[in-house]
Amino acid sequence: MSVIPAALATATAVGGAGAAAGLVLPQRPRVPVVGVLTAGVGVAGGAAGVAALGGDRWADTLPGVLPLAGTYLAVDALAGLFMAVAGAVVAAVAVYGIGYAGGHGPHGLGSRTAQAVLPLFALTLVLVPVAASVSTFLVLWELMALASLLLVLAEHRERASVRQAGVWYAVMTHLGLVLLLIGLAVFAAEAGGETFAALRAGAHAVSPTVRGLVFVLIAAGFTSKAGAVPLHAWLPRAHPEAPSPVSALMSAAMVNLGIYGLVRTGLDLLGGGPAWWWLGLMTIGGASAVHGILQAAMASDLKRLLAYSTSENMGLVLIGVGASGLFAAYDDRPLAALALAAALLHVVNHAAFKALLFCAAGSVLRATGLRDLDRLGGLRAPMPATAGLFALAALGAVALPPGNGFISEWLLLQSLIHGLQVPGVAVAVVLPLSVALIALSAGIAAAVFVKALGVGFFARPRSRQASAAKESPPLMLAGMGLLAAACGALALVPGLLGDGLDRAVAATGLPGSGAVSGGGLNVRLADISASLSPLWLVAALTAALMLAAGLPRLYRRRRRRANARLWDCGGGPPTPRMAYTATSFAEPLQRVFDDILAPEQDVNVTPVRESTYLVERVRFQRRVPDRIEHRLYEPVLRALAGTGQAARRLAGGSVHLYLGYGFVGLVVLLLALAVGW
Amino acid sequence: MSNGLYTQLLDLACGAFLLAAVIVLWQRELAAIVRVFGLQGIALAAIAVLLGAHEERWDLVAVGIGIGVLRAGVLPYLIRRALAALTAAEPAEAPRRITGRQRAHSEEVRETQPLINITASLLTAALLTLLAYAAARPLTELNPTPATRALPVGLAVVLIGFFVLVTRRRALAQVVGFLLLDNGITATAFLATSGVPLIVELGVSFDVLLAVLVLQILTTRMREAFGTTDIDDLRELHD
Repeated sequence: MSVIPAALATATAVGGAGAAAGLVLPQRPRVPVVGVLTAGVGVAGGAAGVAALGGDRWADTLPGVLPLAGTYLAVDALAGLFMAVAGAVVAAVAVYGIGYAGGHGPHGLGSRTAQAVLPLFALTLVLVPVAASVSTFLVLWELMALASLLLVLAEHRERASVRQAGVWYAVMTHLGLVLLLIGLAVFAAEAGGETFAALRAGAHAVSPTVRGLVFVLIAAGFTSKAGAVPLHAWLPRAHPEAPSPVSALMSAAMVNLGIYGLVRTGLDLLGGGPAWWWLGLMTIGGASAVHGILQAAMASDLKRLLAYSTSENMGLVLIGVGASGLFAAYDDRPLAALALAAALLHVVNHAAFKALLFCAAGSVLRATGLRDLDRLGGLRAPMPATAGLFALAALGAVALPPGNGFISEWLLLQSLIHGLQVPGVAVAVVLPLSVALIALSAGIAAAVFVKALGVGFFARPRSRQASAAKESPPLMLAGMGLLAAACGALALVPGLLGDGLDRAVAATGLPGSGAVSGGGLNVRLADISASLSPLWLVAALTAALMLAAGLPRLYRRRRRRANARLWDCGGGPPTPRMAYTATSFAEPLQRVFDDILAPEQDVNVTPVRESTYLVERVRFQRRVPDRIEHRLYEPVLRALAGTGQAARRLAGGSVHLYLGYGFVGLVVLLLALAVGW
Repeated sequence: MSNGLYTQLLDLACGAFLLAAVIVLWQRELAAIVRVFGLQGIALAAIAVLLGAHEERWDLVAVGIGIGVLRAGVLPYLIRRALAALTAAEPAEAPRRITGRQRAHSEEVRETQPLINITASLLTAALLTLLAYAAARPLTELNPTPATRALPVGLAVVLIGFFVLVTRRRALAQVVGFLLLDNGITATAFLATSGVPLIVELGVSFDVLLAVLVLQILTTRMREAFGTTDIDDLRELHD
């Protein structure tokens, strides 16, 4: 008997039990029991995913579960990869969540509703990739969206902004669902069946125009879930306002499923397509990467910063997926496989470090009640473990060795640079541009995470709450420790993923790239003469660092150290107010990208009465609004509100008018019938 | 009953049925409108009884008689009672000098100013009848019997009833419009299917009876609350 059905059945049963426990149990045992059961969902789902990555396949039909359509399930290596990632994240975050919700009392994440929904959300995260028919997929997708919406709203009693974020999220996610629904329904109608097998078989008979339409619709739906521009507006709202474990789940597991859907439908079910699909996707990816990281650089809210960083990383993944489709369209299959492998590896890496980052941010939030970097600072001393874990994850996020993000971005760059042999003017323009955008976003990412780590954890505390911070309870540290172990493993020996990554790539019909397989410790590219050995790289870096730090110390030992007071320009001892804040740290970057960011500045000078020359008060305000949101969403929202107001005029209050609408409608219908026949 | 006689009688009943609807449009006095509505109920009952007698289905005859009792007897009685409640405050013998208050009362029982004047209403009724004939043509062609040939009459009454509903101001005139609409639907059902099952007709009739009862109460309440039954005055309730 295969492992997969047993593991999936276990996950479902444990998830159901968790939901029931969340509903039934009293407040005290509720959080630990639900946490353990949710972790069980993650472990079981992850086990199924790992089994699939190991080469297992499984497919089944449950005719009785969904009326009319039936439930079609199938697991291949591609689904397995996303299940394994989701399962691992769920398991670690659930452990973290026990500690997080434990001290929160009966409201927020510890509430009955939130605790009942949490296992269900975990379950849907694991189960969405299992779906093998359009209706099954959409049902699970919608369940996932609803569960996450309820969890985003968990702290609505504490902050009014949560409700607004919830409305944004609900509207955007359902907009995405409608796009997916239309796209997949058209696809199913044209291909002559709604199971994925039928879609795969019938995709080639569909006319190119309809295929293009289907791709545009589903790409819009899936990229909105992945948080790519221009449908990203929900992400920087919902992620900061959700409880931190939920943010971690959403950012590290849920947005990935947007990528999964895109790879599944675009590369697998539609079987690839013309170059313009993929060039469009790469454009969206590049725009998301740069826009996301620039907004992250400007953000001083720690969780908002992380949310925008998610948008950036998903943009990078989209560039990889787009490049893969592009190479496949020009029939360069090894290169396509490499680009897809890079994208999928980046999904895995991003999940590891972003879950850890959100958990660490949650620890900071729990210890200080603050998300505003400008008021944090000096957390290294009271929270050494959290600071260390945040630093480790930030290292992964900046895409520099020895972080885990480096390896996937290196693979992505390799595939793009070697893609220049592919013919075509558009390709010749887009590929170098993408390389430049990736490099730019990697550079700004370094600045972003230096800011987050340096301003947040180093220097002196800039507020009373920050100076009163305490280290998190051991369960939270344990959950973060699991994620940190994953980050470290991915950074040092990506070969651990073994042939799984290759099998996932091969599930879309491309040949395996062999990028991280075989070599164990090495990353070796089969068709390109390039290789990378992360472990040696880390060893060399560590040695160099130790050398750089140790030599001067050895040399200096003989000199005597003279302690003197810091020169303070005669202005008294330095205070925390003089330290760099997040805003001041980002200021140079903001100047560089002034034209793109278009910050809004307000200076209000209040003069003393009777004299215009003496100033009583100067108020300075600067906001960096999300420009895409500003330009794209506000006109649409205004137009919608205007239409609604105008439609009120139709309802004038006269009963005769309302009756008249019905009468005129009936007469027009009859006239149409009479004339039509 | 011979076929020729049956056809002639059926056409006569249908003609009376349609004519009653047109006369409702023509009349201003609410009392007269209710009287005409009662006559239309008799015509409708005649249609049902004729159909039943022709096909020798006695349950249909029973349904027809029931319809006659309801639509020519009970419903006009209920409306007349509501009308009487509206004019109850008025002294029986009106003095020569008509005061403002009494004019208001006399306006309550007259449809003085319909949204579309009487002449235009009659012309519209003609157009609606034409439309009904045009729209029902494909149905008639399916199976041209005397009953289906009369089908457009039912449709025309539906449209005219709806038209009354849309253009008349007095609440009671609107109730009559609603009942015309329902009469038209019943007639269409009889003519198209040569008789509906007893249970269906029973349900529909009961529904109509309840609706009229509720509307009667509402009308009285409206008069108490606003001093008039002109439903355009309800516009103030709009948010």
